[in-house]
Amino acid sequence: MSKILGIDLGTTFSAMAVIESGEPKIIENKEGARTTPSVVAITKNNERLVGVLAKRQQITNPTNTVFSVKRLIGRRFSDKEVQKDKKLLPYEIRESSDQGIEIKMGDKWLKPIEISAQILQKLKQDAEEKLGEKIDEAIITCPAYFDDSQRKATKVSGEIAGFKVRRVINEPTAAALAYGLTKKKNQQIIIYDFGGGTFDISILDVAEDTVEVKATGGNTHLGGDDFDQKIMDWVVDKFKEDQGIDLSKDPLALQRIKEAAEKAKIELSTSMETEINLPFVTSNASGPKHLLYKLNRVQLENLVADFISESIDLVKKTLAEANFKVSDIEEIVLVGGQTRMPKIREEIKKLFNKEPCKEINPDEVVAIGAAIEGGILQGEVKDVLLLDVTPLSLGIETLGQVNTVLISKNTTVPTSKTQVFSTAADSQPSVEIHVLQGERPMAQDNKTLGRFMLDGIAPAPRGTPQIEVIFDIDANGILNVSAKDKATGKEQSIRIEGSCGVSKEEVEKMKKEAEIHAEEDKKRQELIEAKNLADGLVYTTEKLLKESGDKFDPEAKKEIEEKVEELKKVKDSDSMEDIKKRTEELSQVAQKAGADLYKKEQEKKPEENEQEKKPEENEQEKKPEEGEYKEKENK
Amino acid sequence: MEKELKKKIEELEKQKNEYLAGWQRAKADFLNFKKDEAERFKKILEYASEDLILEILPVLDNFEKAEKEISKNKENSNYLNGFLNIKLQLKNILTNRGIEELLSISQKFDPNIHDAVEIIEDKNGNTGEILEEVQKGYKLNGKVIRPAKVKVIK
Repeated sequence: MSKILGIDLGTTFSAMAVIESGEPKIIENKEGARTTPSVVAITKNNERLVGVLAKRQQITNPTNTVFSVKRLIGRRFSDKEVQKDKKLLPYEIRESSDQGIEIKMGDKWLKPIEISAQILQKLKQDAEEKLGEKIDEAIITCPAYFDDSQRKATKVSGEIAGFKVRRVINEPTAAALAYGLTKKKNQQIIIYDFGGGTFDISILDVAEDTVEVKATGGNTHLGGDDFDQKIMDWVVDKFKEDQGIDLSKDPLALQRIKEAAEKAKIELSTSMETEINLPFVTSNASGPKHLLYKLNRVQLENLVADFISESIDLVKKTLAEANFKVSDIEEIVLVGGQTRMPKIREEIKKLFNKEPCKEINPDEVVAIGAAIEGGILQGEVKDVLLLDVTPLSLGIETLGQVNTVLISKNTTVPTSKTQVFSTAADSQPSVEIHVLQGERPMAQDNKTLGRFMLDGIAPAPRGTPQIEVIFDIDANGILNVSAKDKATGKEQSIRIEGSCGVSKEEVEKMKKEAEIHAEEDKKRQELIEAKNLADGLVYTTEKLLKESGDKFDPEAKKEIEEKVEELKKVKDSDSMEDIKKRTEELSQVAQKAGADLYKKEQEKKPEENEQEKKPEENEQEKKPEEGEYKEKENK
Repeated sequence: MEKELKKKIEELEKQKNEYLAGWQRAKADFLNFKKDEAERFKKILEYASEDLILEILPVLDNFEKAEKEISKNKENSNYLNGFLNIKLQLKNILTNRGIEELLSISQKFDPNIHDAVEIIEDKNGNTGEILEEVQKGYKLNGKVIRPAKVKVIK
């Protein structure tokens, strides 16, 4: 059964995905990139180029390089939007015989669907090559505000490209699908799509069997590129002020600044400050000039504040048009690279008072949703096989009040994990299994899911009994924790419900706390480890002295006993330095004594071997003498 | 009553077979996935240095810009030598990792390896030929990782 290709046919970039082993996966194009520029060109030699190759020669061939054709597809030439866009397009368009649009490419006039078809054709070829199989069917996405004519045109493009287009679905619906939001009924979802060139808002109502678009809004000429432009302007203005040179007149300097601006913008999504560093950016009579400016996150946020507040205003406007209140919205989905900006996420969280869905790569989420739709149509994505993950780590409390994780967060369920533990003290008769949920290394900082005891453990030195602990989560998120004493066969267990049903807010809160306390938690964990190590060493050393103390050299034995005392004194303190130092000292002294003990044992045995060796040694001693003698003769 | 039971058994048989087949398929998918992962790892190792090298190339670019400027003044020759040695060191590291320069000047524009940033009028030149290289292009182990930025004759 051949796969259905999910395609996000974007204004500036397109992406594609399929379902592989039940999971959606982005397919790379022939050039190895996960997205393909939606650009088509015809060169002077009548060679057809699609994607990044077309983009690279754009400047040499502006009238025959067609981009943003999505702005024209399915529209009439007389449309207000088309007339507006016409002014910005360097390639020629005219009205076709059926009031549609025709685009000049080379010496031919092509319809927008034919141009889109070329992009789709490249995606088809690249996907077939990557997957090693024929792809005949596709799901193509389109904006929610596309009318019938535009949707039909999108479908026909796919057919021209050689696809059987199973569905044309809305981009916001695809995004909601990608996050599994269509599983829950009666949800109101808002999609905030901030891409490179366009900003789209969609409000969806997920009912029993349908996903309805309640309202759409946005700004078709607002995108991340505008953010880059603001940074560029800031840099050029600053340089003008500092050096008296206007770099906007220098196309090559401007190019470098544009690239650096986009790079800086991206860096400021993860760092608080970045540098724009362009050595030898230009030169004049007084020599070369260098550009080096620091830009911090707050400065960037100020530069683009108007854009961000415009986007929030448009959201409010669209909500009003749908007759929804902010509180009616249950989920927010982020689409488009620009949504990676922390300020944007902050504003959205502030407006809706909830965390948006942002885990899936915002550039890829629409293609992934399209692939999932394909999977559903094929029956590959069975409802019962849509699996959950544990949002937070699950573990038990171990020696030193530490949280020992058995199942880490984001593990797909159903799953099972087993680990063998032991007792902490000699003759310990029982163990308490304290089940924890959370990311902090200390038990007390996590949530207690349950507790139970396993008793009847046969008396034994600490560390000897084998207690097998099994964590098992079924597909419904029910956690069963059992503990079994391998020796006696005694077993106890506990059943915990709802370990997967943690609200998104709670998950975020716990993750944040783990981050904030990471440093101090790490120090505490190291201290506990050092103490446990010290405890263990004291125990084994004392045991060794008790059992074999008489075999030791009395001097050495005394030294070991002293070191044990010293370690005992500090191991309950909180000074990791002292504990580590005394542990080292005891360890060294004990090891040396142990090594001496073994040496003594070795020295007792092989006396016969020594006598046999001697004649051999004599022979060997002879030979070199003979050799020497011979050589002298030859000389 | 018996007919109903028979029907129910048939249904359950069918469902059981479906589940078993699904289970086997999932297992097979997993094993195939593991094999694919091994292939992917091989590819990743091959191009693992690509990202790092792409980040380092701008440093090399700037060295070349500096070279052009500093060599304008003959008095700087000793400083220039020092720079050239450092630049050579960087270049050698990259070469040992499989980096090769792409040819541009006087070549015909080829979007596979060139990125046009400007077109220049030149009556004496051939259309489509590259007049100037603004930024070098490189390939890594045969794969183009950064096209050269060039000025093309109109």
